[in-house]
Amino acid sequence: MTALTFSRSKLVGIEYLAPDTFLAHGVLNDYMYGLELDFEVKLPSFEIVKIEGEWKRYTTPECPKAIPTLQRAVGWRIFEEGFRRKVNRIIWREGCEHFANLLLECCDAIKWTAFYGEWEEFKEKQSAPNKKEYLRKKLEDIPSLQGSCLLCASKITGE
Amino acid sequence: MVLSYTRNKHISTIDCEDDTILSRCTVEDTFFAATVEIVVKLPDMEITSLKGTVDRAFGEECHKAVPLLQKVKGLRIGPGIIKAIEESVGGSEGCPRMADLLWECCNGIILRFTADSIAETLSKEAGEQIEGHKELVRKNPRLIGSCAAFAEGSPLIEGL
Repeated sequence: MTALTFSRSKLVGIEYLAPDTFLAHGVLNDYMYGLELDFEVKLPSFEIVKIEGEWKRYTTPECPKAIPTLQRAVGWRIFEEGFRRKVNRIIWREGCEHFANLLLECCDAIKWTAFYGEWEEFKEKQSAPNKKEYLRKKLEDIPSLQGSCLLCASKITGE
Repeated sequence: MVLSYTRNKHISTIDCEDDTILSRCTVEDTFFAATVEIVVKLPDMEITSLKGTVDRAFGEECHKAVPLLQKVKGLRIGPGIIKAIEESVGGSEGCPRMADLLWECCNGIILRFTADSIAETLSKEAGEQIEGHKELVRKNPRLIGSCAAFAEGSPLIEGL
């Protein structure tokens, strides 16, 4: 039998707390660290309005000092230019790499919830536009995704 | 409230007998499912093979990103690897989701070695653990200033 030498699991859940507010819950659990994040993002600006973090397991007596640093993220907008750099520079470097990692994971999850979420609603109501039209509209709503990947680039150029 | 979106991501490593490490990252979320697997040769951590699948995605274009993984074959996990992954697999001609899974595989290998060092430190008596952390910093000076634990004024870097 071959045993694992390292394992990390990340679990993210996104819910609508209100029509204009996402609530993200993230859990990271690996051989060394256990941590959780809860934060709220207000629409349409996608601004982080509240954030809480909790350690479950950590490796040094200094790690708990990373928790207050999370409050620096309040007021940041997840689609603003340089958001990832800001998370790495402040939440990671002044706090903790693993909280930064989990925050970015949750923000990515919010991005795709905002991007694809309505598609499922349209399908349920059997009123879905075609995929191309849907993506074109969503790329207007979230301009930072324009040209960000093969899929998004093709919809902009109309290929 | 019912969740609008869920994501479950798992990264694992296995030490193989031929001085290689297999690292695998799988993601299953509401709209997307994919796996990336890499083999890394020790001791220089060269990526010797890669495999990937996109099992579920919104558009057909997403599947076109899988062959791009081969572009990082031969690279070593070390400085510059993040940029290389973003340029080769991510970006407008690629898939940031697949690039992310590939990065997770590389990070998993780094964490696999970190876990060994941390386990060794935490196996010491409580009073010796601070010295154990300092020893870790001596071996990896780039840790200084890398996070709150190793920030200026921390007892973990005192006297170093």
